[in-house]
Parts: sequence; C-alpha cells; structure tokens
Amino acid sequence: MATLSRLLLVVLFFFSIMAVPALGEQPDLRRLIRQVERQYTGESSIATVEMTVETGHWQRHLTMELWSLGRERFLVRIVAPAKEKGVATLKVDNEVWNYLPKVDRVIRVPPSMMGGAWMGSHITNDDLVKANKIDEDYDFQLLEENATSWVIEALPKPTAAVIWGKIIYRLNPETLVPERIDYFDEEDLLVRQISFADVQLVNGRRVPLRMTVLPVEKPAEKTVLQYRRLQFDVGLEKSFFSLGRLKERR
Amino acid sequence: MLARLALRNIWRNRRRTLLTLSAMVVSSALLILALGVFSGMLRDMLASATEQYYGHLVISAKGYQDDRDMYRNYSPEAIETILQHKQSITGYSLRLRSFGLLSFARNSSPAELLGVIPALEKQVTSLQNSLVAGSYLAADSPAGAVLGAGLARRLGVKPGDDLVFVTQAADGSIGNDLLTVSGVFSTGDYGHDNSLVLVPLGWLQRVMVLPGRIHETALRIDDPLAAAASAAQLRPLLPASLEILTWGDLLPEMREVVASYNVSRLIVVTILYLATGLGILNTFFMSVMERTREFGVLLAIGMRPGQIRLLVFLETFFMGLFGLAFGILGGVVLSLYMVRVGIDLSGTLTPITYAGGTILPRLGAVLEWSNVLIPALCLLVVSLLAGFLPANRAARMQPVAAIREE
Repeated sequence: MATLSRLLLVVLFFFSIMAVPALGEQPDLRRLIRQVERQYTGESSIATVEMTVETGHWQRHLTMELWSLGRERFLVRIVAPAKEKGVATLKVDNEVWNYLPKVDRVIRVPPSMMGGAWMGSHITNDDLVKANKIDEDYDFQLLEENATSWVIEALPKPTAAVIWGKIIYRLNPETLVPERIDYFDEEDLLVRQISFADVQLVNGRRVPLRMTVLPVEKPAEKTVLQYRRLQFDVGLEKSFFSLGRLKERR
Repeated sequence: MLARLALRNIWRNRRRTLLTLSAMVVSSALLILALGVFSGMLRDMLASATEQYYGHLVISAKGYQDDRDMYRNYSPEAIETILQHKQSITGYSLRLRSFGLLSFARNSSPAELLGVIPALEKQVTSLQNSLVAGSYLAADSPAGAVLGAGLARRLGVKPGDDLVFVTQAADGSIGNDLLTVSGVFSTGDYGHDNSLVLVPLGWLQRVMVLPGRIHETALRIDDPLAAAASAAQLRPLLPASLEILTWGDLLPEMREVVASYNVSRLIVVTILYLATGLGILNTFFMSVMERTREFGVLLAIGMRPGQIRLLVFLETFFMGLFGLAFGILGGVVLSLYMVRVGIDLSGTLTPITYAGGTILPRLGAVLEWSNVLIPALCLLVVSLLAGFLPANRAARMQPVAAIREE
C-alpha cells in the first residue's frame, strides 16, 4: 500500500510539473493582449485621428484630438467639422462624460446608455470603458501558431461582467501587431470585426495607424479611424483629465 | 280573459310571488351593475392605453412600429386625403419620435421624445388631464417639454428647469438642444410616466435634422371598439408605403383583454341566471302542484289543455315582466350611482399596468344599452323556460285523477 501511495505521489508530482509551463504561459499571453489593447495609448499619449463613419443613410468625417493617461483616463475633442467642433468626451475610471458646446452642458453617460454608439460611430461607450480591461476580465489560449499569424482566443472569466462572449486575436508573428480582432456574442455569433493596417514605427513601437470597425450584421456600415499624429510618453498629469478641461473650447 | 286570470293567480300567494320576484329583481339589478362596472374598468383601461399614447388608429411607414427605425418617416402631405375623411376621424395628431438621453445637472436618463403639435395632440390623447405640476405645452412654445412624473423625479426637475436632450440625428451628427420643462404628468402607467416626453414637433424635427417629416399620425375615432372597421375603410386611401394599424394591432394583449371580457361576461350571466332560473322553476312547479285540483276542475268544465298551458305560461311571463321592470330600475339606479360617484379604492390599491392599459384604483361604471338589455332579455327567456315544464305538466293532467288528488 505504501508503495502505491508513493507511486501516486510521484505521478501527481509529475503532472504538477507538466502543468507549470501551461500555467506559466498565461501571463505571457495576457501581457501580449494588454499590449495590443493599449497600443494606441501607452503610458500616456497625444493623437490626432480622422474618423470616417459610413452607414446606409449617411457618411461622416470627423477630426478629433485625443489625450490619454494609462488605461483609466482619456479625453477626446472634435476639431472638425464646424458643426460639431468642441464636442468632447472625458473618461475617468468607469465614468464617461460628454460636453456639448451648443448648449454648454456636461452630460454624464448613465450605465443604461453605455451600450450606445459613441459619437455616432460603431464604437460604443462600453468599448471606451471596458476594452482596456480585457486582459483582466478574460482568459487567453493560443489556438494556432504558424508562419503567417498567431491566433489567440479570449474567453471571459466566469465572474467577469463582460460584453463579448469570445474574442479572437490574429497577430503578426514577427511584430506582434494585431491584424484582425473578431468579437463574438454569448451565442458564439460573430458580431464585429476590427482590422488593422498601415503599421508604422512610433516612438520605437510598431503601431497600425488605421483601424476599421465592421459591424457584421450591417455589411454596408463601417467606421475607419486613421491616426494622423501619434506621440507616446508625453508626460500628462492626472489633473489634466478634468471636467474643466472637457469644457475647454479651442 | 286568460291574462286577467294569470295576473290574479300570481297574486293569490303573495309571499311566494314576492320571494321569487325579489330573486329576479336582485339578480338582474346586480347583473346590470356588475356589467356596468366591468365595462367601466374596460373603458378606463382602453382609454389609458389609447388616449394616453397610441390613439385609436396609427398611420406610419410600413414596419415602423416594429423597430421604430427613425428613417421610416414620411411627409404629412401623403395622408392629406385621409385626414379630410371627417365622418370617421374625430381628431388626429402628427408625431415625430426620438430616443435619446435627457439630462439635468448630474442626472441623466434615457427618454422617448414625441414631437407633437400641442393643439392637435390634445385631440387624440388626454395627457393634459393628467398633469400634476406646471402646464401643458403652449401652442407657440418653441422648446417646452411635458414629461412623466417618474422621469421628472429621476432627473430632479420641476417646471421651469432646463433639460438637455442628446440623440443621434438623421444625418449622423450629434443632435442636442435645450428644453424647458413646462409640465409634469402622472398617468399611473409605469412605462409612460418613466420615459415619455412631449415636445414641440418643429423643435424635434430640427434637432433630428428631419425637417417636415413625421413618424406617425395618431387618429381618434368615435368608437374605439370599431377601430378595425374604420381602419379597413381608410386603408384603400393610403399610399403603398404607409400602413394603418389599430390599437388592437399595437396592443394585442389589450385586444385579448376585451375578448376575455366578453367571455367572462357570458359566464357571469349564465351562472347568475341558472340560479335564478332554478328558483323560478321551483316556485312555479310548486304553484302548479298545489293547484292540481283547480286545474282538474278547469279541465272538467271545458278548458282546453292548450289554454291551461298558456295560462301558466302567461303567469311566468308576467312575473318575468315585473322582475324585469324593477330589476332594470334598480340596476340603472345603482349603475348611475357608480357612474356619478364611484368607489375610491386608492387607499388600498395602487394603479396596475396590465396589457398596456392601466387599471385605476377607482371603481366606476358606464351605462351601455347592451349591459341593460342583455340581462333583461336573459331574465325573460329564463323565466319563460322555467315556466315551460310546469305549464306542460298542468296541460297534460287527466281531469278526473286531478280532481281526486289530495
């Protein structure tokens, strides 16, 4: 009996050693996804972005300025067209405020409206608040690794309150820059695709400067974000992201 | 002669007759009252569903009511010919709808804005009667707003405060502008009180960048229960891109409530009159049995069996008529009391929203001819049916055996 239990211990020990590399790989994928999700923000950033939104009914072209600090704070202000100049969004932690210069009011976006479109695009307020937490709320697994791409699957942790039922990342194996991200709902149905292009070197990092959001249900619609200017590690202070700054018109 | 005999026979045993008569009177009076209260509840519920929001008929672009897609709009010119159809339409309101975010100070809440022309909207809905603060939209108000009490409480606003409305306009831009609260309504309907806002049509058309467009035209007609017939009448006049829907199409649950009301009315009438009918049958059987000898004598002196049958029949008929007269009188008086005064239950009940309509904590009644005529006719039929068996028995008696019977 004693030998048997000793054998069992040995076997268990063996398996536990086997398990360690698998467990050890998780943080790597997690760090990789964190890098992907924060590729446009870094520690802090300033950017100028042109956003084109197309639907079956209209096409819109906006130019915006962005400031960000870590994953908790960012500020976006529309600079063109004239009709919407000065409209701004501030995110601090889990809260989102919009400023409307026409009526000179700041509006806090309530939780019930977080699923709504942000500035009329195919990006939701939830994307702004929760996307930066994907590396915390999901578990990752490497599905495929070949010469052309790495495919990483993200499944939500059982306790996390998330929007997507599954996310599939396709990364370039050499640069680790994302090429495409597929978003699935709880029923495992493809809902949205984001593809990336125009990879450039910015402050020593490779960043895809064009991002295209495709809502799968509406093939005629898309949102394209083109980064015109992007700078990292610009030394912004927390105090920069204030309601007072939100209202500033330039 | 037979009629006089029948009348006299009725009053020969007063106590029995009065007991039967009182059963008839009470049952028909109560039934008239119950049906009146029933109809009153139904009317209140239907009114809350149609006169607070939808109207009786709604003209909108095909499919609009399914997804409320803001691009399914039309120009009011398309339905001008219909609106001139005066014999069936008693009021109409042109409306534009928008969903968006309403905000005041640090509070914000999703809301449904209905752009209306105040004078027209009053023809269709009766929100102006449910105001708890402030006043209705003024005819020339450029940016007024009348909102539900729940929404006003959540935003923390009172008449005179400025609200911000933000939505996505039809051209994709961020439509936003200020509104000034002019009034607050409370209908008891949870959905409307917590999200509905009436604003001037022109204001909403500008914010949504939909100049001259509307999403729906709400119509008021004389008889809401005949909405389907009115819709069928107007349908051929519509352009192909538009459709006309009745409140029954928009609130299918409400239509089922009306149908179930008709069934339950039938059940109540049946139960009550089965009981009353058995009582009448009992009385007449007894009176025929007691008078066996008398019928024997009548037969012996030459009365024909047919005349005996008619005699007993006439007795029940007259009883029925008496019962009916007093029953209707009692029922109408009770119903009128309920129509005028009613019973207030708000101390023990809160308004219940069910099937899109609201049941108010107040019992009232409506006096409808069908609610009086149905119990009256049923009573007459029941008393004649109850008289049939005893009359037959009396007619088939053998004179000699009948006279000898103790």
